[in-house]
Amino acid sequence: MNLGEAAQIFAFGVFAFISIAGALGMTTTMSMFRSGIFLMASFIGVAGLFILLMADLLGMLQIMMYIGGMLVMILFMVLFSNDPGGDMMASMKMPFLERFFSSGLLPQKKIHRDSHSHHNSRNNNNQADKDEGMNMGMDMSMFTSLKPYAAWIGLTVTIVFVLLFLLFPDWPVKNFIPDQDSSHRIGMLLMGKYMMAFEGAGLMILLGIYGAIYLARPGKHPDSKDRNDPSSINEEPPQAAEDPIEPFYNINLKELYEKSEDEK
Amino acid sequence: MGIILSLAAVILLFSAGTLITILIEPMLSTTDEEGPASNSPKNNIYPVHPDSWLYNAAPAVALASMAAASVVIPIDKSLAGADIGIGLFYFIVIIDYMVLAVALGGWGSNVPESIESCYRIIAQLVAYVVPLGLAVIGPIMMAKSMSTQNIISSQSSLWYIVSQPLGFALYIITGLMQVYRAPFLEPFSNILNNGIISTYGGWRGKLWRISLSGILFIVAAMGAVLFLGGWSGPLLPGFVWMAIKTFAVLILMKWIGQRMKLLSTARMLELSWKILIPAGLLNVLIVGGLILMGVGGK
Repeated sequence: MNLGEAAQIFAFGVFAFISIAGALGMTTTMSMFRSGIFLMASFIGVAGLFILLMADLLGMLQIMMYIGGMLVMILFMVLFSNDPGGDMMASMKMPFLERFFSSGLLPQKKIHRDSHSHHNSRNNNNQADKDEGMNMGMDMSMFTSLKPYAAWIGLTVTIVFVLLFLLFPDWPVKNFIPDQDSSHRIGMLLMGKYMMAFEGAGLMILLGIYGAIYLARPGKHPDSKDRNDPSSINEEPPQAAEDPIEPFYNINLKELYEKSEDEK
Repeated sequence: MGIILSLAAVILLFSAGTLITILIEPMLSTTDEEGPASNSPKNNIYPVHPDSWLYNAAPAVALASMAAASVVIPIDKSLAGADIGIGLFYFIVIIDYMVLAVALGGWGSNVPESIESCYRIIAQLVAYVVPLGLAVIGPIMMAKSMSTQNIISSQSSLWYIVSQPLGFALYIITGLMQVYRAPFLEPFSNILNNGIISTYGGWRGKLWRISLSGILFIVAAMGAVLFLGGWSGPLLPGFVWMAIKTFAVLILMKWIGQRMKLLSTARMLELSWKILIPAGLLNVLIVGGLILMGVGGK
């Protein structure tokens, strides 16, 4: 084995590790932001595998799609649901993998507990008990019952693929050097042989953008009357308690001034 | 041996360029808002409640993005990190890791200002990425190649700044958005307490400073390659020409940026959708027409 082959095998190992570990982290971590970043890492590992297969343009396209797209997706995800999980989940009991991929979410120092322990008042102790109770509740709700089944299905599929690979090792390998100027080749194919499909995809995306903008703008004729109904009701504020002191704005300054003048 | 020597030369030249950028950038600034070039805290601070994996990964990702993107920039006729067939596309893709790094650092440090910085930098990515692509399509169309060395050699008769002034203007504006300098420094602005920079101290802060200055340097260098003919020039050796052109583009970018009013992220998106993208499409049409008339294209 010469140096080039060794480097290739090493690079394959690194990229395969990144893609598998990224996928594992994505499914087991407790923070949504981390989950998205792990998914991105997994796809970037796949892009590395593309580059090892000398499909450099495809690899770069994969990276471009998944950096920009995944970052925007994570942004919307976080804006809509404000990262449930995260550090709140990191302190509870978890299986090994979930604990590993959620490590580092825990605060470095338990500041709240330390500051509370100095004042040993009853109120603070009650608060701490309440917090723990809430964590326990979360603990129960976070574990989906389907996760073990999903893991078993994944493991089965992996075993089937590995068995196929071991039972039929004679995969056809073509001794073929890919085109160095692949971008030129892909461009010619897209604008020549597959032009209709390419332009059709472009038209579909344009229609999608148009439809999204059309749905988002306020229309004159909403399809349902309920759309115009308010989603929340303005409630009257409760009556203020009787205040013995007269409000400042009720005092007539002019009268006060005249009174003081009279006294003089 | 030759490969190792040239690699060392490339690394040295890019490090020197980044250091010179760090030195001259304060001289070019006229306002208090230094944005990404502002100094981080000197002592080694650590946020109270970080997502420590993301927080620690961020400066490394930023530096790796800057270093990996500088590979395809040719310094001389035979001196470049690598001359790959899709060089320009590689550059545009790899430099986006900087946005990822800022997003990681902003979310990881878990400070309100830095999380705001993370949101705004992703919105800025959406603003600049399409017009930037439309700006660099012009040189690719005329050179009929994405390799940076081919783009330089196709400019031997006429620089692309002459045949595509609109493309150059677009590149300058989107380049400023890409390096988060003067009018587009919203994610690092003073109202956000300099964004992520204030949450990284000590050597981590220095890593941020190096990568955020290095990205300005390499974007200017790529502008020199695309529109000013790169290393080509009479009398002086190639790398001297490259340095002169790079710093000319850099100073032009900073000079234009200092003379504009600061834009908020919403204004940036408005500018992008309403002005830059139509101008970029117009630029593509003009370049196509020029090629049909026989200007520039061979």
